[in-house]
Amino acid sequence: MTLTEKYRPKRFSDIKGQNSAIERVLFFIKNFPKKKALILLGHAGTGKSSLAYALANETNSEIIELNASDLRNKEQVARIIGQASKQQSLFRKNKVLLVDEVDGISRDDSGGLQELTKLIQKTNFPIIITANDIWHKKFSGLRRKAELVQLEKIDYKIIFEILKEIAEKESLEIKEDLLKSIAIKSGGDVRAAINDLQGIDSETSHDEIHERDKEENIFNTLKQVFQQLPTKETLFLYDKVSLSLDEILLWLEENLPLEYKGEELYKAFQALSKADVFRGRIHRQQHWRFLIYQNFLLSYGMATAKRQVKIGFTKYKRPSRILKIWHLNQKQKYKKSIAKKYAKATHTSIKRTIKEFPIIREIMKNEKIREELKLDEKEIEFLNQH
Amino acid sequence: MNTEIWTERYRPKTFDELVGQEEIVKRIKNLTNSLNIPHLLFTGPAGTGKSSLALIIVKELFGDKWRENYLELNASDERGIDVIRQKVKDFARTRSLSQVSFKVIFLDEADALTREAQQALRRTMENFTNTCRFILSCNYSSKIIDPIQSRCAVFRFRLLEKKDIEKIIKRIAESENLEIQEESIDILYEASEGDCRRVINLLQATSSISPRITTELINTVVSQAKPSDIKIVLEYALSGDFQNAREKLLDIMLKESISGQDVIKAIQKEIWNLNIEPELKVKLTEKTGEIEFRLVEGSDEFIQLEALLASFVIAGHGKM
Repeated sequence: MTLTEKYRPKRFSDIKGQNSAIERVLFFIKNFPKKKALILLGHAGTGKSSLAYALANETNSEIIELNASDLRNKEQVARIIGQASKQQSLFRKNKVLLVDEVDGISRDDSGGLQELTKLIQKTNFPIIITANDIWHKKFSGLRRKAELVQLEKIDYKIIFEILKEIAEKESLEIKEDLLKSIAIKSGGDVRAAINDLQGIDSETSHDEIHERDKEENIFNTLKQVFQQLPTKETLFLYDKVSLSLDEILLWLEENLPLEYKGEELYKAFQALSKADVFRGRIHRQQHWRFLIYQNFLLSYGMATAKRQVKIGFTKYKRPSRILKIWHLNQKQKYKKSIAKKYAKATHTSIKRTIKEFPIIREIMKNEKIREELKLDEKEIEFLNQH
Repeated sequence: MNTEIWTERYRPKTFDELVGQEEIVKRIKNLTNSLNIPHLLFTGPAGTGKSSLALIIVKELFGDKWRENYLELNASDERGIDVIRQKVKDFARTRSLSQVSFKVIFLDEADALTREAQQALRRTMENFTNTCRFILSCNYSSKIIDPIQSRCAVFRFRLLEKKDIEKIIKRIAESENLEIQEESIDILYEASEGDCRRVINLLQATSSISPRITTELINTVVSQAKPSDIKIVLEYALSGDFQNAREKLLDIMLKESISGQDVIKAIQKEIWNLNIEPELKVKLTEKTGEIEFRLVEGSDEFIQLEALLASFVIAGHGKM
């Protein structure tokens, strides 16, 4: 048995870091059948299925599960859920119907989706639906019918505690800082973290735990966007990547000039910069519907910039700008502390001093001024470097 | 005080030493002689003598005891109006120990305060009006709310003229044993844009290389200090080398702490000097305006500027 199965939470009290979601699930059950279905929305490994199973346990219910592969068509949905929702269970009083990963339903299964929507109206038992993302239009009917509960990514400190507990129970001798690094690298995904825990022994070093397969994933996605012609599928490319659209924007920004030149580059940057305009508006006005435009421009818009299919291998790079800014800010720290001392001595502002810094730096070559301003070693080192 | 920093060493210590602003000095002198001043608002460009005049006022009023009776704050550096209020409160609690019945608070760059913060400042000014006088300084009086302006005597400082700057340069040159040519004074004046602090800094920076202040030497220092190189960025882009263009752009913005909006300004000016068709100049300028609009609106500076550079790439191919 894998550790993820062994330590899957059985009761609400076993589920860590999702208290408000648990409360909302309880509220849903209490008010059933006011709303008959509940959508648990969240990233992988945040506890969506666990929450459904725990609910079944807590309410002494039998759980009937359907996943994406079962939901092939109308008939199957009708047969499994339709019957189950009408009959009473033999041994247990209650039933909970679980439709796992509803966003795995492709466009071809839209019959299944319609059937599910109809079933919600008819069912005598609560239906729990889990999804990573249901903002696609095809889910709009479903969204209206169901209560929506968002699960947050789990804080790495909580994941760390979970890992520590499991490691103790399994008598695994793993250093705490390694556990911490697994927790951080999991990106809020408990399942991934526990899988990583199982995959290591005490010899493993930090670097061997990659940021899961996120990177390979984004590399493939970039290849499709940059090299293939746009199709309808292009719109959904980023759904499979466990990075936010804002992060994807940075990946595109970094790698776009490697693939596109001249006019293509121009068109691609038109799309990218407009996506950024929408990003800004989302952040300022909290108008999340703009995500549709941001996604459209970053996927379809980006793919449309090319004249023809591209072939060949391009070595994509991880976004470097943010890191560069961070490094430079570290250096700027000394610039700022020097400017602060200078500003105080000369009745001016730090801001203005920084603006005039190239000249002021020349003046500060004078040893006596360095002494006068009581510059410390680090600051002097900074001045000498440039 | 013995200081090596020339802007301080040569900061005027009396009304008569202050160069330029003769009218203002005359009026302030009268006010100070009466040992009672109203709140003052000094408005005008940087480096025209606002802080210096404030310092002279307190030295005249309090003599040796000026330090205990003077608080200097900078609105652009303090973390918000609450910090300023607390500092004012702490400072104003004790009474002045001199023949003058108030203390003086100098709030520099007051136009950095938001309108709301200025409202709060106005109440603070009223609350402490018995024990404190405020001298506010700003670059643009239009950014100071009316209720504050109406409580202050307003003095408008003008840019220093060439004869003023020349006087300052000559005085320093004599005292520091610098050898300086007439043409050098011209160049220093031009580079200073009428800003006295800037001209003194330039002079000191140049003299740190050699006491012979030649035009070439000044130009080297000035060119180092310019948010230069925007032209190089654009030339890379026009030649189709986008990667180098953006690399250089990021470099300039980060190392010289230049904001996206300053870069846009420089690009907009530089378009005129580019060797391209007039029609393309029009299109690029229009594009630049659109990008500036997006920056003002709060988009990511770098992504937007990259998009603008991409426009230069195709303009380099003669298209758009």
